[in-house]
Order: sequence, then C-alpha cells, then structure tokens
Amino acid sequence: MTAVLAPEQSVPVAGSALVQIGDPNGILLAGPAPVDGPESLGSYVDRLGPAPVLSREEIFAEIRDSGLQGRGGGGFPLWRKLETALASPGDPVLVVNCSESEPASRKDWTLCSYRPHTVLEGAAAIAEVLGAQEVVIHLHGGSVGPRDALRNALRERGSPEGDPVWRISYGPGGYVSGEASAVARYLHEGVALPLFASAPLARRGPSGRPTVVSNAETAAHVASILHGGAERWRGAGSASCPGPQLVTLSGAVANPGTVVEITGSVTIGTILRCAGLEDPPQAVLMGGYAGTWIRGHQAWQTPLEPASLSALGATRGCGLIGVLPHGACGIAESALIVDYLAGESAGQCGPCVLGLPVLADGMRALARGRGGRRALRHIRRTAVALPGSGACSHPDGVVRLVASTLEVFHDDVARHRKRSACRTAHHRPLFPFSAAEGSS
Amino acid sequence: MKVVVHVDPTRCRGHGICALMFAEALELDHWGYGRALEAEHEGRRSVVQARRAQRACPNGAISFTVAEEMQPAS
Repeated sequence: MTAVLAPEQSVPVAGSALVQIGDPNGILLAGPAPVDGPESLGSYVDRLGPAPVLSREEIFAEIRDSGLQGRGGGGFPLWRKLETALASPGDPVLVVNCSESEPASRKDWTLCSYRPHTVLEGAAAIAEVLGAQEVVIHLHGGSVGPRDALRNALRERGSPEGDPVWRISYGPGGYVSGEASAVARYLHEGVALPLFASAPLARRGPSGRPTVVSNAETAAHVASILHGGAERWRGAGSASCPGPQLVTLSGAVANPGTVVEITGSVTIGTILRCAGLEDPPQAVLMGGYAGTWIRGHQAWQTPLEPASLSALGATRGCGLIGVLPHGACGIAESALIVDYLAGESAGQCGPCVLGLPVLADGMRALARGRGGRRALRHIRRTAVALPGSGACSHPDGVVRLVASTLEVFHDDVARHRKRSACRTAHHRPLFPFSAAEGSS
Repeated sequence: MKVVVHVDPTRCRGHGICALMFAEALELDHWGYGRALEAEHEGRRSVVQARRAQRACPNGAISFTVAEEMQPAS
C-alpha cells in the first residue's frame, strides 16, 4: 500500500545491504556524515520531503501493514500495542524511550544524536494515532549527545499545526531503569524501578492511563514507513523481520560501538566482515548482556533474523553483536557481565536479590578455577529457580546468559571445573560496563 | 467464574501464609517467596480462598482477578 509518497528516491529500494551512518543507501542512517553532527530540519526535509499528511486511520493502517516489531528488545508488534491502548479506557500516554540502558548498545544514541528529526517525526505520527496530547522523550540524564540533538531539533521543529506537546524527561542511569515499566513509573512517581503489573502497560500504566512506551528506533522506523509506504519498508527486511534493522557491534571489532543498518537478509558473518573480521571469531554474544552466546562458526552463517536466531535459542534483543575473539575466555567475560547485571538488580524482588549474587559468585569461582564443582551446583540450582520470579525479566535475562555460557563454552567449563583458571581471567574486560556516551 | 491470582514480587517478603491459604494456586519458591501457579481455578470456593490469601498477606502482595467481571480486586 502506498499512501502519500515522497519523491521516489527518498527511500532507497533495498536489496541486502549493510550501511553505516551517512551512507546514502541507508534508510534510517542515510543522510549527512557523522562529522556534520545532528541532521538539521532543512536537510531532513530536503532529503525526504515534508511529513506525509495522513489521517489517524491511514497511519495506523500503514504501521499495521508494515509489521513493525518493537526494537527495544521485546520485539512486540507496534500496531498491537497501539490497538490495545486505543481499546482501553483513558487518554493514552506516549513515551519514546531513548534511554538505551544496555551499556554496549549505541543504536538509539546514534539515531537520536544524528537523526533526531526522524525520531521526532515518527513519534508525532504515533501520537496522532493514539490521540496523545503529549509526547515524553525519555533519556538518561547523562546522555549529552542525544539530549542536545533532540532539544535543538525540537526548537527547529517549532510547533506545527496538530503537533503534540513535547516533554524531555531525564532519568537516572542503570540497567533496569530503561525497562519500559521502570520508565513509565519514573514519569509517574519519580521512581525508576520496574513495576509489577498484572495488565500490560498499553492497557493500564502506572498513571491509570494506557501507556505506550516505544523505543527510539521503533519511532524512527514509523517515519520511514510513512515516507516510503509500508510495502517498500517491509521489503527492506527479511521474512521474519519486516523492515531494516539497526545493530551495534561490540567486543573484539575494529570500532566497538559501530552502528550498522541492515537491509534484506544478511548473515552475522557478513556484518562482522564489515567490522574488520576475516574469519569466524570464537563466539558471538547476541542480543545484549542478557543475551545468548552463539559459537562463532555457527553465528557466521546465521542470518540476523528472528527465525534463524530462535533456532539457536537466541533473539535479536537490542541488536547487540558482541564478538569474543579466539584466545579469550567466554567464562571469564560472562562472569564479569553476570557480576555487573547482579549489581544492577533494582533490589525489589527477593529472588533477584538473593539469586543473582549466587550466580555471580558461582561464575566468578568458575572463572578463577576455584571450587568449580560446587560453584556449578549452586549455579544450576539457582538458574532453575529464578525464571519468572521477578516483576521484570531481569533475572530471566541473567539466567539466559549463564545457561548459554555453560552450553557454548562447555569444554572450557570442564577445564575450569578441574580447578584451573585460564590465563585470560585477569585481563581487561572486553565489554563496557558504563552506559555509553559519545565523543561529544 | 475463573480466578487468577497474582503475587507482586516487589512486595512479597516470604511470609508464606498465602500458600497455606490457597495451596492449589500458590506455592513457595526456592527461597520461600510466594509464586502463583499456572493452573486455572474455577468456582466460588476459589474466590473465597483467593480472598483469604489476599487478606492474610502482611505486605499486600496478593491480588486476584475474577475473569467474569474483569474487576481487579485489591
């Protein structure tokens, strides 16, 4: 379906491709190079034409036909969230979550810092569908690049006819504070901790009103969908993932924090080649710190699509691809990540408070080759008890990482269990542990 | 009349009384915190038990919904 189309060249027809920011073949990342800073409104409109004029129903239909899945990690179709909110009592609230609490992920940071108008235009369109009078842009307080770019973009945007009221919210840092219910709760009562709720946020948020929390990348895709039409946007994806997707490369790559846009069906190997790798690494951490390890040679041939990833027990998550080189120790790196994640518990739910330190201690003991047999027993027992026990899925995510570590690095586990620490156990961590901030 | 029981893990402090009040719907986990079982519970008796469990919790962690009315009881 094509509604009001911008000029033909506005959204490049996509085959399989990999582009970085500034490449004209991109869809979200096309436009000026990073050295030029945030894209101005003038440049944005020159490039894509003015925002298409569509009714609420038409925008909703385009979003539904596009099949856009949320890009914050959950992958829930946006149109269904919108449908739930519209069918629930009360005036819906829209929050665009730009806080990106995953320390190694940079996609939302990059998008907000360099393409702020894409995010704002998409958010305005979602607000139109919801009939939301106000849109909250939620950021980490310390996220300088996105903050300045979005503030400036809002000034440039002014208040065109029908635009919602924009509010920028600055939340605290921390891994779980970027979780959707924590963001909604922060906006309502100033506490950035996950919320226990028996109903989805889109039906009833902490304020009692339907609350749609949408990731920055998701909002930006909405702008692309409306400019080029749902059909073309969809075609830039793959069978199980409609539309293009952003991923962040981390770990042993040429430039950790590089964000790449993928159109069509592309294998993880092809993506890693663009990051300077020539051969499969030892392993790849897919989807974020609470993600899944995949053996390098397996990952190399796997297309970055939900269907192929789920066959390996992985998900796209936040789009993070972390590279573990040969010679590094997957158990040692995982132990550091589990330790970080255990420290990031909100401290609200008993099982998370008591269980995560057991996992962290166990992984550390295993990595150091001390008491490995006992450590493994504790880890296994805790990993069975934790899933589904918290208000949010934080403990489930840590268990996922631990389980895949034990599986993928099975041979190393056997060595470590025999009380031998590996040479790499005391080196510099491969992955970052503080929220990403840019060169600005 | 279908009863669904919820435990708010942010409030639960592991007193464990709920599992005594409505053993068919609630169990205690590895650490002794309350946890709702997946099973479905029907009938007026289940509503009574759910209410008992809810009232017995010193931290107000238990809530339940009755599917017919879709009214959250708190």
